[in-house]
Amino acid sequence: MTKVTLTVNGETRSASVPPEMTLLRLLREEFNLTGSKLGCDVGDCGACTVLVGGKAVNSCLMLAGQADGRDVVTIEGLATIERLHPIQKAFEEKGSLQCGFCGPGVIMSAKALLDENPDPTDDDIRDALAGNLCRCTGYAKMIEAIQAVARAESARPATKSA
Amino acid sequence: MKAFDFVAARDSRHAVALLAERAATAKVKVLAGGTDLLADLKFASSSHAPDVVIDISRADDLRHISMTGEGLSIGALVTHTEIMRSPIIRDLFPALVDAAHTIGAVQTRNLGTLGGNLVTAVPSVDSGPTLVALDARVTLLGPAGSRQMALADFFVGPRKTALKSDELLTEILIPKESVGKPAHFLKLGLRKGQALALVNVAASLWVDWNTMTFVAPRIALGAVAPKVIHATAAEAFLDGRAITADAMAEAGRLAVGDAKPINDFRASAEYRRDLIAVLTKRALEGAFELAKAGHGKRAEKKQ
Repeated sequence: MTKVTLTVNGETRSASVPPEMTLLRLLREEFNLTGSKLGCDVGDCGACTVLVGGKAVNSCLMLAGQADGRDVVTIEGLATIERLHPIQKAFEEKGSLQCGFCGPGVIMSAKALLDENPDPTDDDIRDALAGNLCRCTGYAKMIEAIQAVARAESARPATKSA
Repeated sequence: MKAFDFVAARDSRHAVALLAERAATAKVKVLAGGTDLLADLKFASSSHAPDVVIDISRADDLRHISMTGEGLSIGALVTHTEIMRSPIIRDLFPALVDAAHTIGAVQTRNLGTLGGNLVTAVPSVDSGPTLVALDARVTLLGPAGSRQMALADFFVGPRKTALKSDELLTEILIPKESVGKPAHFLKLGLRKGQALALVNVAASLWVDWNTMTFVAPRIALGAVAPKVIHATAAEAFLDGRAITADAMAEAGRLAVGDAKPINDFRASAEYRRDLIAVLTKRALEGAFELAKAGHGKRAEKKQ
């Protein structure tokens, strides 16, 4: 067994897991954070996307042991009990999701993009979402939603946002 | 996934010590970014599955990008994203940035490493052609010390390299003779995102501005042979020849003869042969455009 201690959505969490357990299974099965989805399990579909050290990664391709000591943010880390995260709100308003299975991964990829590039072009967004497969609605309304968030953030006077 | 022992290496020397200790008696795999290895492990039959996984992802001595007396040294653990963002690589080798950008998607590029991409050694390895066209060398660290070889020789066949079971790929070196050499990378896949190359090509060249001739032209082809290859007939044809559109087109035709493309579900061999000719010509044009831009800048500075 491998002892793993990491920060998940701001909280320190520990578990003792078999070495072959992926970060995705650690999140879902040990920590009951089932927002990150198990889709293809080989890094093609992006449904398991989480942020590790601020960067979007496929949690199905990372061993839990490799995440030891790292800072992980999942879809559960975005909304508060009072309000959705601006990206989630924009996806709701634009009707960007249909079945929603790809949503947590798409939204985490969008967050990683906007954290680094607050004013992306449509091509920047397409590039950021290339590793997130959606088979219902397509991507046009996701791109609209992400642009809406970027425009709203840039319109706001210089206050720090989450 | 079959169960395995998981050992984390502190640095490259520790990793090699762990390899020496475990590789003699057990099946060992080295884990870097994991984007190839974990996907493979999930499919591996139990006879291929490793008994031990040595995690080198925290070996920080393999993360550098630095200019040395020998050339540009890139640590094996540098990720594709780090290559895309490196100021020194963006300045000196934009073709490496373009190649890194075609690998997987953001998530794969954030985890996947240059060393891992080369060690997996699929014939379509997108990091391969540009580095081969720049005569890159690799450093392999083993129990008896380190050795170097040309990347073109490190690749042996599909998923086969010259790496011994107790050795670790530690460094990719672009030799000083190639530093700043104009190069261009092109890839055609079936889609823009997350697609394997049907053909990928890189060309590099110096220009003799007095005679307007090719100096040390290199063309490397991926996905059209068991490993990344030099298009040797095309290179020999161009060496010392006047730089013209016809010469570049002829080099493209000759490169077709240097390759052995296969038919598969992605494309026919015939289509791949056409692609080789066109992409080789365009890669040479791209490298020459870059050479002209650099020459113009240097001329401005002198004035």
